[in-house]
Amino acid sequence: MDQRHIRNFCIIAHIDHGKSTLADRLLEFTGAVAARDMENQILDQMDLEREKGITIKAQAVRMRYTADDGEEYELNLIDTPGHVDFTYEVSRSLAACEGALLVVDATQGIEAQTLANLYLALDAGLEIVPVINKIDLPSADPERVAKEIDEVIGLRRDEMVLASAKEGIGVKDILEAVVTRMPPPKGSVEKPLRALIFDSKYDAYKGVIAYVRVMDGAIKPGSRILMMQLGTTTDVLEVGYFSPSLVPVKDLSAGEVGYVATGFKNVKDCQVGDTITLTAHPAPEALPGYRPAKPMVYAGIFPVEGDDYSLLREALDRLRLNDASLVYEQENSVALGFGFRCGFLGLLHMEIIQERIEREYNLDILVTAPSVEYLVTRTNGEVVSVHNPAELPPPNEIAKIEEPLMDISIFTPARYIGTIMDLVTMRRGEYREMSYLEADRVHMQYRMPLSELIVDFYDQLKSRTQGYASLDYTFATYAEADLVKLDILVNGQPVDALSLITHKDKAANQGRALVERLRELIPRQLFEVPIQAAIGSRIVARETVKAMRKNVLAKCYGGDVTRKRKLLEKQKEGKKRMKMVGSVEIPQEAFMALLSLEEKQS
Amino acid sequence: MTTLPSHLQQTPTEFPQGAPIGARVSELLDTISLYLHIPFCHAKCHYCDFNSYAGMLGLREEYVAALLDEIALAGRRTALADGSPRRCRTIFFGGGTPSLLTNEQVAAILAAARSAFALDADAEITLEANPGALEYDRLDSLRATGVNRLSMGAQSFDPALLKWMGRIHTPEETEQAFRAARDGGFTSVNLDFIFALPGQSLATWQATLERAIALGPEHLSLYSLIVEEGTPLFTWVRQGKVAPADEDIAADMYEYAEARLAQAGYRQYEISNWAKPGYECQHNLTYWRNLPYIGLGAGAHSWFAGHRFAEERAIRRYIARVRTSCAEHESPETELQLPAGAITQNERITREGEMVETAMVGLRLVEGLDLVAFATRFQYDFFEVFGAQLADVSALGLVERVGDMFRLSERGRLLGNEVFVRLLPDSADTPIVATPR
Repeated sequence: MDQRHIRNFCIIAHIDHGKSTLADRLLEFTGAVAARDMENQILDQMDLEREKGITIKAQAVRMRYTADDGEEYELNLIDTPGHVDFTYEVSRSLAACEGALLVVDATQGIEAQTLANLYLALDAGLEIVPVINKIDLPSADPERVAKEIDEVIGLRRDEMVLASAKEGIGVKDILEAVVTRMPPPKGSVEKPLRALIFDSKYDAYKGVIAYVRVMDGAIKPGSRILMMQLGTTTDVLEVGYFSPSLVPVKDLSAGEVGYVATGFKNVKDCQVGDTITLTAHPAPEALPGYRPAKPMVYAGIFPVEGDDYSLLREALDRLRLNDASLVYEQENSVALGFGFRCGFLGLLHMEIIQERIEREYNLDILVTAPSVEYLVTRTNGEVVSVHNPAELPPPNEIAKIEEPLMDISIFTPARYIGTIMDLVTMRRGEYREMSYLEADRVHMQYRMPLSELIVDFYDQLKSRTQGYASLDYTFATYAEADLVKLDILVNGQPVDALSLITHKDKAANQGRALVERLRELIPRQLFEVPIQAAIGSRIVARETVKAMRKNVLAKCYGGDVTRKRKLLEKQKEGKKRMKMVGSVEIPQEAFMALLSLEEKQS
Repeated sequence: MTTLPSHLQQTPTEFPQGAPIGARVSELLDTISLYLHIPFCHAKCHYCDFNSYAGMLGLREEYVAALLDEIALAGRRTALADGSPRRCRTIFFGGGTPSLLTNEQVAAILAAARSAFALDADAEITLEANPGALEYDRLDSLRATGVNRLSMGAQSFDPALLKWMGRIHTPEETEQAFRAARDGGFTSVNLDFIFALPGQSLATWQATLERAIALGPEHLSLYSLIVEEGTPLFTWVRQGKVAPADEDIAADMYEYAEARLAQAGYRQYEISNWAKPGYECQHNLTYWRNLPYIGLGAGAHSWFAGHRFAEERAIRRYIARVRTSCAEHESPETELQLPAGAITQNERITREGEMVETAMVGLRLVEGLDLVAFATRFQYDFFEVFGAQLADVSALGLVERVGDMFRLSERGRLLGNEVFVRLLPDSADTPIVATPR
């Protein structure tokens, strides 16, 4: 199809604002998927995505639509990930489009995440078509939301489409707006091939499937191709489009969205943001915007049963086939034995990996509290990067420590300003800017250490604002800070997996809160167990888990023997799920205790 | 220590506390104890997970008829090689509420048992009674049927707690029922109590114990409340409507009872059981010594010939199953036929499993597990089998050896599960239950 009849677009929306439902309606309306084949939310294919109501991997689908002008159009909808952990992936998906539908819930308004993605879309030069969704709900206030959109991006009321994806209202108006207002792609078929990879996934039969937007030239099976950033080469096995299942075609040319079966065995060879070109006629320059995956958050993953170490390695190896942003190296903890130090894009990414290991590989694992990457300058001038508190050099060898700072952005009803300021200040946040979107909605901007952000900040923000505030953040810079290592001793033994790096002024309080929490989490043992927090050799807090006093079956008569034996077998299984550290049984949750500390209002 | 009036003295039992059975275990392994389950109740208590039903008293006669047939069947199937009936040492009517049977029904059941088994002349015959479902004026004729021990569910002397539990009697009715039992000639009476109830204070518990001691029963069973799955109580706890008593309060109550009852002349002989010397419950000792027993009636459990088996729980289905079984002709050629007529579950326990279970129940006794009996029974030294697994609890002082007995220490008694759990085999290589061929 000629480029004038192609439209490539994506949908930007906050969680629950109806993105997936709208996508389903568009597919239905254009007949891309028959109504009877519709499984709810067809684009979110991973179980976890459906459960969490978010998109983790990008998806794409091609639709055919005959517009009011009588012409037939090819519409490619690219569904982008919807979480701040995946900002880079979002930016690449956006770069594959010419337009974006901005979906805003008529009962809520614009949220931080939506705005962040909207700015990304505007930066990428996309044409924005706002859709005010859920107008069928009694509490809908489309006019208020329209004003807010106008305030933020300066679009006129008559440029916005009112819709209810659930009720199928406004679907045709949306498709017409896509065709008439979004520009067609502009690449040249004559130029050498440049195809942008906006996602990839591993397929057992076809190897790595790259999701691409062809910018210039054309690509067909049999061609030898080059990944311009990584320098890897391969032969194209197959090209095609998404319906949303894979449909092979004989070629993909400038302006089209589709897939390339590369035969690569690992997604690392074919990374998001890279440019595909032909080895025979390479493009002089790669597409802009490529950035290698960079983990922001680190945590140790250990098998609960030491014997499962090699199974855990296998699980991580397999997950990495499909996830270039997951990095890991072997870690040997004194307390937990052999495991892996893993790097993640963010907390959600970490949670996803953890759940996939547990569910798909059926492994009992233990995840330590997350940490960030510190840059430590030694007294001899050497700079080392530390992403495991246990590896922090001794204080007398440290000249300075730098930590990553983030620019955070919060949208909230004005009445929560005070409590949010308290929270951010407690977390060492520095005020940058605050602006009113309308009388009751405020946009607050701070700069805050990432280490403070990853420890329960989002949950705290949500609970302090009854769920009304939304959050977005991006990396700002590294900055020097007065940081120390806080050690935790259980039964007199330091437990390396519980150590953390924290600000000197907060360390003692944090130590107290942490040992208190551990006292609740560590069950009574057959003997008394002291739990201490120490900075260097100075003990800053101590709690005691009292010795167990009573654990016995009150009754055991003739009818009980089998039942009680089974009950004991269950208790024994339960013990197995705990980690023996010295002679103390520590439950898995204890290693994440840092994440569930009571925030003391200061 | 109070001295019992002479008319309440009973002849000392066969194996009193402190007189271990030792090598005589072989002889006892050839006998049985008989449990008879009476599943009827006026009302179901909120914490109860026994196989009991309210509102089904109409089935009582049919049920007793089935039970009589089943006793005869069990007698035939447990007969010794020479065809003579097997020795039966104790009978226990449990429930449910066995006191809902008529005296005639009790008499008929005992007659059936006497003809099916070689019942000891001085056999302990216990009947459980609900103080709220007991006709005082028929207790002497109940005693005359041969029942010589009454076990009453008193549960508490606190009216509010009784009500909360869903009990159908008041504290005063418990006292009246107890006195009626004495008047009826019962010289061996047990009272059951539950402690660590939600909201129960140590003071309320102390008051309940005082009233119990004042009555002077020969035997006391004190159970720390268990929140059993499938009970209303379980639902309340899960919904957060009821908070179970915490570990420390429960331990305080237990330790208080241990001290107070010792002072009042009771000897503790099992984790939850106290008796005046010579009044230990022989029937329950069968369980704790892991000796054979036959349980008949809906939902009853047996341990016999290396098998643990249980009967159909629903009353109507139980009756129907027994009728069918008893109508069948038995051929002596067939393999072992288990001595019950409505079996729905059956497991063969391996030799290793029997050792684990023997240790698990034996350690419940205050006197402990009889090491001579263990060696006689299994031809293995106990420590050879379990020594390594118990090393840590031994070092922590939760278990101790005293002469030929191995027992929980005083602290260990409250931490029994920590010891029991270590008896379980680590791997599936030593199964407790044999996999059927």
